[in-house]
Amino acid sequence: MKLILPSGVTRAVFDRGLAAFERVVGKDWVLATDEDRETYLDVYAPGDAEAHAPSASIAPASAEEVQAIVRLANEHKLPLWPISRGKNLGYGGASPVVPGTIMLDLTRMNRILDVNEKFGYCQIEPGVGFFQLHEYLTQNKIGLWLSNPGNGWGSVIGNALERGFSATPYGEHSSSFCGMEVVLPTGELIRTGMGAMKDNKTWPLFKFGFGPAWDQVFVQSNFGVVTKAGFWLMPEPESTASFAMGLPNKEDLGWAIDTLTPLRLDRTIDQSVGITSYMQSATISAQRKEWYDGPGAMPDKVIDAIIKKNNVGWWNFNLRLYGTEPVVAANTRRVQDAFAKHTRQEFRITKWAKGDPAAGRSGAPAPGVLPLQIVNWNGGRGGHIGFSPVMPPDGKLVMEQFARTRARYIEFGQDFSSTFYHHGRHVTNVNLILYDKDSQPQTKQVRGLFGALIKDAHDNGYAEYRTHISYMDAVADTFDFNDHALMKLNEKVKDALDPNGILAPGKNGIWGKAQRKWRAK
Amino acid sequence: MMRTLMIAAFALAAVAARAVAAEPDGKALFTRECGICHLPGGTGTFMLGRRLGEANALLETRRNLTAPYVKQVVRYGLNSMPRFTRAELPNGDLEAVTAYLTRAR
Repeated sequence: MKLILPSGVTRAVFDRGLAAFERVVGKDWVLATDEDRETYLDVYAPGDAEAHAPSASIAPASAEEVQAIVRLANEHKLPLWPISRGKNLGYGGASPVVPGTIMLDLTRMNRILDVNEKFGYCQIEPGVGFFQLHEYLTQNKIGLWLSNPGNGWGSVIGNALERGFSATPYGEHSSSFCGMEVVLPTGELIRTGMGAMKDNKTWPLFKFGFGPAWDQVFVQSNFGVVTKAGFWLMPEPESTASFAMGLPNKEDLGWAIDTLTPLRLDRTIDQSVGITSYMQSATISAQRKEWYDGPGAMPDKVIDAIIKKNNVGWWNFNLRLYGTEPVVAANTRRVQDAFAKHTRQEFRITKWAKGDPAAGRSGAPAPGVLPLQIVNWNGGRGGHIGFSPVMPPDGKLVMEQFARTRARYIEFGQDFSSTFYHHGRHVTNVNLILYDKDSQPQTKQVRGLFGALIKDAHDNGYAEYRTHISYMDAVADTFDFNDHALMKLNEKVKDALDPNGILAPGKNGIWGKAQRKWRAK
Repeated sequence: MMRTLMIAAFALAAVAARAVAAEPDGKALFTRECGICHLPGGTGTFMLGRRLGEANALLETRRNLTAPYVKQVVRYGLNSMPRFTRAELPNGDLEAVTAYLTRAR
């Protein structure tokens, strides 16, 4: 893949920069061949992956090396795109917003520095993946559970920095951060929270420190490179009960959301609950052509056939209760009673108690990558992106959102695939858009659909919680109170911390002053 | 008793052990880096079975893999399989994985 230089940088300056980086990390860890550039492209790009192609990658092994790299990048005016492990699949993977940006790949920084079972936390580097941490906890028989996202291949810190989530009591992953070590865009090393005091004993225990709390400022931003973080882990419960149910009708979604809301608010159910359409069963177990090979979205009769053959509902959900056995038994009755007001169906319940094997849905969660199976739905070289607006947990509004979004999928000829995650005081509606990335008509449809969904969400007072690198400006633009006053604040902070705009230009729509002209209109 | 595990020393020891090893362990690397998709029950195994038949589903038991093919797929991906960078799987480790998958049997 041909080299695309950072904008405004000559080949001579670029080469001098790479030579300087080599003196920091060694020749083996400056990756700048055509093949290296290719390995950082977005494997699921809904269009031209090279529109976000990096020029090179540097893979440091320590915070000190990150500091040196950041200082050199300022000296040579070379932009950097930090990644933890680069597995942000569906949102751009490893790729930067701006072509020619140099990857700052923290994969080699993969030390598990501390695991504290009594207080339920770990301190880890950004290269630590879910599989690595899970294996460590399991092999050492440590009674702490991980909260795994759909793609367990990624980084624990990286996923939390993107506000990834999962269905566990610790499932809002960015809320599990407790104390970070961060390299600022000009190279200084800071520690947040109680870590700001040398040798403070509560760094991974108390989130806020003294004065402003900064951890969340480094989430979904380009204000620093997180090189270490404290991260809370869930103590193994005494017992669990997992519930599963399929809802036969489209209309069941509304009452199910309204039934869950009080149970989530009073923490009878202390985890998010994802109510997902029949498409999940179809996309994981088969390809589209096995069901329907015609143009446009699958017709209702095909959908009915899928539901019948896979023995699923139009909507399907699982939830899990945690605690001592009497608490789980009491909460089981509360959940059963609440749903019995709307359906005669019984939950399929799987129980687990400490000491039982982890196998099955109710033991310790294990990371996996099976959800990636969905990308094969359309055949060819598959891809997916997600459109995920946040909305109130209200059955009527959720039904309206569902109907509006499904109509857009049909308008653009896409098979509707959606999950409504009930988080208590909000619902995140993750809509999966699947395509053959080599099919130009399909990717054109996908881009049209995505643009329409952004507009619909904004028109109804909703916005995405996270988005693909190609849509960061478009989504940021929907946060328009008082002429985008919050973005103006973000960019004041950006200019103060990063005067050369070195770190992650365009990340979440935040640009340094020299690069604002590149903001997508 | 508080159970605090300081792991850095172990991690460094593991790195050191790997650095002095005569050859990287191809089977261990395959299990760690590829196994999440390509062991029995994995999504890669499932996809290959569907595309090429059950006889070709499990990479570890295949006898028709060539070294250039393995390296090409790892670095450039295949269908929906993402690519591996050199930061994640250095060339020496890729050689070991390739040797393991193409070993004489």
